[in-house]
Formats: sequence, structure tokens, C-alpha cells
Amino acid sequence: MRVLIVEDDPLLGEALATGLKQRGFAPDWVQDGREAQTAMRVEPFAAIVLDLGLPGLAGLELLRSERARGNKVPVLILTARDAVQDRITGLDGGADDYVVKPTDLNELAARLRALVRRSKGEPAPVLRMGNVIVDPAARSVTVEGRSIDLQPKEFTLLQELMLNAGRVLSREQLEERLYRWGEEVESNAVEVHVHHLRRKIGSNVVKTIRGVGYVVPRGEHA
Amino acid sequence: MRRQLLTVLLTVVSAAWFIAAALSFVDARHEVSEVLDAHLAQTAALIMVQWDGDGDEIETEHAPVLHRYSRRVMFQVWEDGEVLRLHSQNAPNTPLSRVRQRFSETTIAGSRWRVFSTWNARDRVLVQVAEQFNERDELATAVARNFVLPLVITLPILGAVIWIAVGRALRSVTDVNQQVAARAADSASPIDVADAPVEIGALVTNLNSLFERVQQLIEQERQFTGDAAHELRTPLAAIRAQAQVAQGAADDAERIRALNGVIAGCDRATHTVDQMLTLARLEPDAVSFHPGPVDLGVTLKESIGELAPVALAKTMDVGLTNGSGVTVFGDAGLLAILFRNLIDNAIRYSPPGTAVDVAVDATESHARVIVTDAGPGIPADQRGNVGRRFYRAPGTQAPGSGLGLSIVQRIVDLHRGTLQLDTASTGIGLQVVVRLPRVAE
Repeated sequence: MRVLIVEDDPLLGEALATGLKQRGFAPDWVQDGREAQTAMRVEPFAAIVLDLGLPGLAGLELLRSERARGNKVPVLILTARDAVQDRITGLDGGADDYVVKPTDLNELAARLRALVRRSKGEPAPVLRMGNVIVDPAARSVTVEGRSIDLQPKEFTLLQELMLNAGRVLSREQLEERLYRWGEEVESNAVEVHVHHLRRKIGSNVVKTIRGVGYVVPRGEHA
Repeated sequence: MRRQLLTVLLTVVSAAWFIAAALSFVDARHEVSEVLDAHLAQTAALIMVQWDGDGDEIETEHAPVLHRYSRRVMFQVWEDGEVLRLHSQNAPNTPLSRVRQRFSETTIAGSRWRVFSTWNARDRVLVQVAEQFNERDELATAVARNFVLPLVITLPILGAVIWIAVGRALRSVTDVNQQVAARAADSASPIDVADAPVEIGALVTNLNSLFERVQQLIEQERQFTGDAAHELRTPLAAIRAQAQVAQGAADDAERIRALNGVIAGCDRATHTVDQMLTLARLEPDAVSFHPGPVDLGVTLKESIGELAPVALAKTMDVGLTNGSGVTVFGDAGLLAILFRNLIDNAIRYSPPGTAVDVAVDATESHARVIVTDAGPGIPADQRGNVGRRFYRAPGTQAPGSGLGLSIVQRIVDLHRGTLQLDTASTGIGLQVVVRLPRVAE
């Protein structure tokens, strides 16, 4: 899952990026409010981790202006400001969650997963498609009760398709969701991942729409 | 206070009144004596004139009572000073007084009398007229009583009036007292006293302005504590996150990098705490300011020496041009903190490989320490803010507490110097000019 970390503190920003990557996210990190705004407008992030005291454009202003434009991306405010009024202002300003520093990385990851789940209208913590069960928190996949060992990119690919069940995702869209900025992408990487995935979980889950992309059909929800 | 005031006022009023009464008693007695003496002499003269030589006894009983005092008078007429020829009914047969000239005093039948003796022209006839002394005392006493009586009547009234008036005046004091007693320590609301007298009104105004200043101070401290917590939360969050990254690191390189991050976070939190403590020690009520002559060259060399390792780690060049022998009047310890902060800032915010220049110039009265770096500088519109605690110019990348220039500003103020921020003459970087007095003011 692509997440955007907006944090001006280098030490914390770096730790958040690395920590969330360890926890199965594909995080990008910016230190400036204007950069964050640009990134939010061009990239399909699943969620944003937003600090409030930012250079360039303050976090709350950024949030308000993006919400005013109709940007629905889930936003989690991560800030040192702990006053109740700050929390209220943050949540009423359009944030979906408000976390005070310092925070546990696992909790932060869980909150992000919950935000993403809800934003997709999928409140169940595990994703099911027939006999395939994907647990984003544990990053585990089982088929007919059998645990399947997936590479991180394969897992993310399956998760993205299941989160967007019924929607065809193009190769480019999948690449955007799979790869962080600056990560090298082989031209046929998505096809290779899909190929490996099908070999591991069976070929009937991920369907190919020729010339368009891939889809996990919604109708097979259990 | 009410009782005290009442006691003092009543004591003074009655004492004054009693003294006045006593004085008027003495005065009245004297005047009465004069008048009655004259009267006595006149009576004697009248009797002398009326004496025809053959009188026997004057019926004083039948004499018209002209005045209530008149009956306390008696007289004798002695022929040749030896034969009692005429006397009032109440007079004895012996001479009223052995003194036979003018005024004398005598005791007859247990009471004291004033006697006037006079001889006729041929010294043949002696007339003695006596008047009881009681008379005089009674008169004087009556005068004095007339003085005291109104006091006795008005004193309780006066007391009551004072009691009520003082009570009314003191009600605002009581009111103020109650409001102060019932106040919360951090209350900002002013005391309100209706119809306070001018003096109490001034007290209330001063109290209110004191409350306001205390409130501002509390607010400042609260703000500082809040800012401090805020400033420490971010490094703590970084430390925690880096530690968790280290726990979950996929390889050694990632783990080492994260652990270095933990250490860097600790260093930063420590730096922030150190700076906060330094600033706290510079608070007006805590600072120990012991000025004397301080050699700028020596102090600057020490400060640069301390920070040289930091500069070298960033491959930066820090240098001092002149400054030897220039002394300022200041506190050596505080000036060392000032210079360390200035030079540390310059190193912190400058890109690697650039230079930080420290220069000194001096006039008769002042010396200037100029620190120039090649960092991003501070936009002119932000320069007014840097003295604020925890203020960091937007976009600041280098880690810092946001307290350095607050500390510098505070020390400069203590020395009655000035702090000025400019763009370096090269057009890039910041030039900080600290101007310090060279002699004690």
C-alpha cells in the first residue's frame, strides 16, 4: 500500500518510512507542505501520515485545501500537539485519525490499515475471495486453509486487487501502488508478479482483462 | 483597625476637650476672681460712703436679693479700727481678717473667705467686706462644666459616627480582602470593588495590574512548558520509531542505520534539554550575572576550540580574525555561552565545506563580535521572530532546539548590548552582530 509520510523532522521521517516499509507499506516521505500537496494530487496514495508543523504549507491548511478539492484519501495526523482543542481542530479539519507523538510503529501501521479498509468500504480486517484469505495485518495469505508464502510485491499486488475488488486496475495503476518513488521498475514487472501469484494461489482469482489490466471479480465474495 | 481608629480618635478628642475645659476653668477662675474682687472693693467703697457714723446694724436679711451670689457676702465697719460699729447679720464680732489693707484670705467657721479691707480718708473707719470662696469656685466650675457637658453628651454620638464612617470606609478593604482570599492562584479576573475610596481604589488598581503581570508570567511559563513538551516529543517519537525499525531490521546495515538514528535522536533531545536548562538559568530571578573585564580574544578562542570538532566533522572551516586584547565588560561564563550558541548555530545551519568567520572590532565604548556563515540565512521578515523561544524559521532542515538565539538574545540583554541579524556581505548566509559595552555603565 502506498502511503505518503509528511514529516519535516529528518530523523523521525526516515524512521517512519523505514518502519512502515518493514510493515508492508510502500511509503514515500516528503518534508515540505507544498511537496506533499503536489504528491497528493498526482499519486494514488492509500493513506497520508501528516505532521502539522510543516514548512511551506502548514499541515492543517494542506488538509483543508485538499478536502475542499474533494480529495478523499484517508489522512492520519501524527503530531506533538496533544491538546484536546488541537485534536478537535485536526479531526474537524478533515483528518480521519489523530495520533500524538511518540507512537508505536505497529499501532501506526494498524491504524493506517484500518483507515484504508474503511475507505474501501471493507470493514472486515481480513479480505476473502472464495477460498483465498488475505490478512493485511499479519501479511499472510491462506488458500483452503493452507498458508501460502508470497513475496512482498506479490502480496501487495493481491491486496490491492482485493481491496479494489470488481475494479479493473491497469498495469500503470498497479505499478504506482506497488513501487515507491525512485524504485526501479522492470517493464514487465507486473506481469511477472501476476504470473508468480497465480502459480501460488491458483489461476482463477486474478483475472486478466486483455489490453486493460487485472481484476479480482467482486461476485465471488464469500 | 476600626477599633484602633476609634480609640485614637476618641482619646484625642476627649483629651483636647478636657485640656480646653481645664484651661477655661483656670481662666474662668481668674476672670471671676478679678470681677468679684472688683465687686468686693466696690461694695466696700459703697459701704464706706453710706456710713454716716450712727448706724447700728444693717439688716442684711432684709436687703434685697440682687443676685443669687449676694448672700454669701458679709461685712463689718470698724471705727478707729477697734470698735465694731456696723456688720452684716452673718458677720462675726471679730475682725474678718487680721490683714487690714486691701485683699486677704481668711477662714471663718470652716469655710474660706476673700476679704477686702479699706480705710476712709482719715484712716478712722475700717470697712471689711468678705465673700465666700466657694462662690468663686462654683462660678469657675460652672464655666468649666458648661465646657465639659457638651463633650459628655456628644462623645458617644461622635464615637458612633466615627464607628459607622470608619466601618463604611473599611468595607471596601474588607471587600478587597475577601476577594483576594477567595482568588484562585492563576485567576486572571481583576478585583472589583464598588464605591471604593480613592486610596483603596489605588490599591485595587495596583493589585489588578500585579495580577495581570503574574498572569502573563504564568501564561508565558505555561506556553514554554507546552512548547518544551512539544519540542521533546518529536525527538522522542524519532527515537522510538528508530528503535522499532532496528528491532524489525531485515539486515545489519538497516539495523545499524536505525541504531545510529536512535543515538542521534537522544543527542538531539539532550541538546534541547540542555538549551532549555540554560535558558531557565538565564531567567531574571535565577541568573547570576557577575560582570567584569572579559578578553574577547581568549573567550572566542575557547568557544571556537570547543566547537572545532563539530566543524571538522562537517569539513567546515571556523576561524577568528583579530580580537586579541579587546576586553568588554561582561560575565565571562555567560559570554562563553553566547559565543558558543552563535558559532554552533553558524556551523549547524551551514552546508558542509563552507566557512564560519568570527571577527571582532571595537570602538572606545563598545566592541562588536561578528559571526558570518554561508548557510541559508534568515529571511528579513523572519528575523524579528528568532529571539522567540522554540521559534525555528520555516523550512529549517538542520536539527536544533529553536532556543539558541533566545539564549543569545537573553545574554545580550543582560549585558545591555544589541543583537543584529543581517545577510552576509557576500549575499549568501547570515551575519550576526553582537554589540557589547566595553566599560561598566
